[in-house]
Amino acid sequence: MHTEKLKELLSQKFITEEQYNNIEPVISGKIISVFFELRTLLYLGVLLFSTGVGILIYENIGDIGHLISIIILFTLTLACFVYVFRRAPAYSHGKVSSHSPYYDYVVLLGCLLFISVLGYLQFQYELFDEGMGLTTLITAMFFFFVAYRLDNIAVLSLAITAFASFWSISVSPQKWYTGDFLSSENLYVTAMIFGSAMAAIALGVDRKGVKTHFTFTYLNFSILIFLIGTLTGIFENYNSYALYLLLLYGGCAFCVYYANIRKSFLFLLYAAIAAYVGTTYFLSDFVLKDPLLWFFYLIASCGGLITFIIRYKNYFKRAE
Amino acid sequence: MIAYNKTWLHNLGIVKEAKQWCRHNLISPDQFARIEEAYKSAFYHPNYVIRVLLFLASLIALAGVTGLLILMLDGLNNETAISIAALVYGLGSFAVLEIVFIKRGNHYKSGVTEALLYHSMGFTIGGIAGLSDFNEHVVIIVCMLVFTFSAVRYVDLISTAASMGMLAWIIFFEMYEIGGIARQIIPFAFILIFTPLYFYFRHQKKAIQNDLWTNCLLIGESVSLLLVYAAGNYFVVRELSVSMMNLEISNGDDIPFAFVFYFLTVAVPVTYLYAGIRFKDVVLLRVSLLAIAFSVFTFKYYYSLGHPEITLTIAGMVLLLISISLFRYLRITRNGFTREDLLREKWMNANAEAFIISQTLGGNKVSAEEPFKMGGGSFGGGGARGEF
Repeated sequence: MHTEKLKELLSQKFITEEQYNNIEPVISGKIISVFFELRTLLYLGVLLFSTGVGILIYENIGDIGHLISIIILFTLTLACFVYVFRRAPAYSHGKVSSHSPYYDYVVLLGCLLFISVLGYLQFQYELFDEGMGLTTLITAMFFFFVAYRLDNIAVLSLAITAFASFWSISVSPQKWYTGDFLSSENLYVTAMIFGSAMAAIALGVDRKGVKTHFTFTYLNFSILIFLIGTLTGIFENYNSYALYLLLLYGGCAFCVYYANIRKSFLFLLYAAIAAYVGTTYFLSDFVLKDPLLWFFYLIASCGGLITFIIRYKNYFKRAE
Repeated sequence: MIAYNKTWLHNLGIVKEAKQWCRHNLISPDQFARIEEAYKSAFYHPNYVIRVLLFLASLIALAGVTGLLILMLDGLNNETAISIAALVYGLGSFAVLEIVFIKRGNHYKSGVTEALLYHSMGFTIGGIAGLSDFNEHVVIIVCMLVFTFSAVRYVDLISTAASMGMLAWIIFFEMYEIGGIARQIIPFAFILIFTPLYFYFRHQKKAIQNDLWTNCLLIGESVSLLLVYAAGNYFVVRELSVSMMNLEISNGDDIPFAFVFYFLTVAVPVTYLYAGIRFKDVVLLRVSLLAIAFSVFTFKYYYSLGHPEITLTIAGMVLLLISISLFRYLRITRNGFTREDLLREKWMNANAEAFIISQTLGGNKVSAEEPFKMGGGSFGGGGARGEF
């Protein structure tokens, strides 16, 4: 944007002189915000440091330097949590804004170091007999606590992924192409139950007005897990998948309903893709046998969807 | 020159900008409503998610159309005839895009337009390539021309980046084909061509009549800077020399002009950073950060001490220290730089950020049945990234 446009707005009295003076330095580049750049650096720093420390501890178990590094790790983790809890604003059901731009990243660093600490304890002293399962659960619970107490959505996402992996559900797009996503026996049933249960709980909590800005993150994970669970169910039981198809449609219907009331179109996108894949799979079993029919089907279905979206474009507008 | 209605584009630009001001409480919602009322545009320009949905649906529908046409032209066996058919189909698709969607439907970057645009470009290029008997010189030049056309006429950012990439490929490929000394001076040719190009884009960006292409010019600028850096980077030059030009480097030997590339690997990022701070240029700053990271990687690649975990830890510590002290230093605005989030990019909302964090750091590791053993295990139930 050029300052000429801003001058135009000023001369036509859309903005006041004072507002012009506020906005002009930003537009013309007299003041430059490096907020985004600094946050990226901070994030990379947290990422590299926690990964590096994790490997460092792991590779040097048994060495002389090991004890020192463990002490440093424990001290650092403790320092992070002491810092964040001391400075933590009082808990509230609403949104709590942190007082410094790097506060949230100290929370994140503390949580990631906590994983290394717990992993070390588990390895060295076998605190938990059942192996990794319980460690994951403890991690998840602790992260949920931190997420709610310190109002941190990033830690909430970590908590949800950890909790899901406790149920052996791997929440990661990276797993799709390696093919081990929900591949083991009946895991898709677990995924479906997990997804719907988490969505139900999240909506219940949302109704009570507790941390309503967390609801999106909860639903995002649970809808993805549920839809992928049902799709896997359809593909695995290629002889009798009617139930899974119905469940898929149920999930999609919920997405459409929720997208409509919240004007959150991401869920609509998930629903459209999942329903399309499911329906196409179903049709290819019964109707679509001929390439000619296939091409007509592709044109009619997607053409229809495009026309529908454009026709009812006001329905798909974001609430401002 | 531009396919869309210019007044509307102008209006849309102002409204989008004003929306950001409103969100940051620089203007009141009432004022925003008045601006929106005064600067109307009849474009169909849906939000990102709907755009993605429309884009995917359009691609599938177009695949259906293409399939039907292929069935209809089943008897066609002549290669020239097929190429002509593809070319006509591509040009026809351009016409459909222009007349049906842009002119009548008032679409502006709606997802449908992008899908149709890439589809048209693909078949046009494919048709010409077929007619030229897949002559490499013709194909790359046609690609660049078609991408540039799309960048200018449809203000498409992906086409802009692609056309810059094609230009680089043409220079590389043609000089490589000439052989001999021309191959040796490819890096210098890149620097000599893309440096003026950078200044050209930067200059053009300031001109008011190019306002509608601001984002395209921004991409041109960044890609030019990156290419200049890459051409002088020791790693890029050495690895490309070895793999493409069959250069053999024995122990103790080095590539020709090695000292020049060592120097450039350090000097270019530092220059970018200095210039970015000195002239308050965000593009230079961002590219310099990328370049510095890659330079560090370059030196670690050839002069590694064999302890990647120590490198990671130290790099992380340095980054943390630098960013936190800069955050503290910029508590007040200095030399025009501030840590405050003035007009944040639209797509970086907290939710997207949380999702990225959970995907890169998070516990996407199924661990219930995994034994925790030396070598194969991994640290951390809910967390630690990747296999150690």
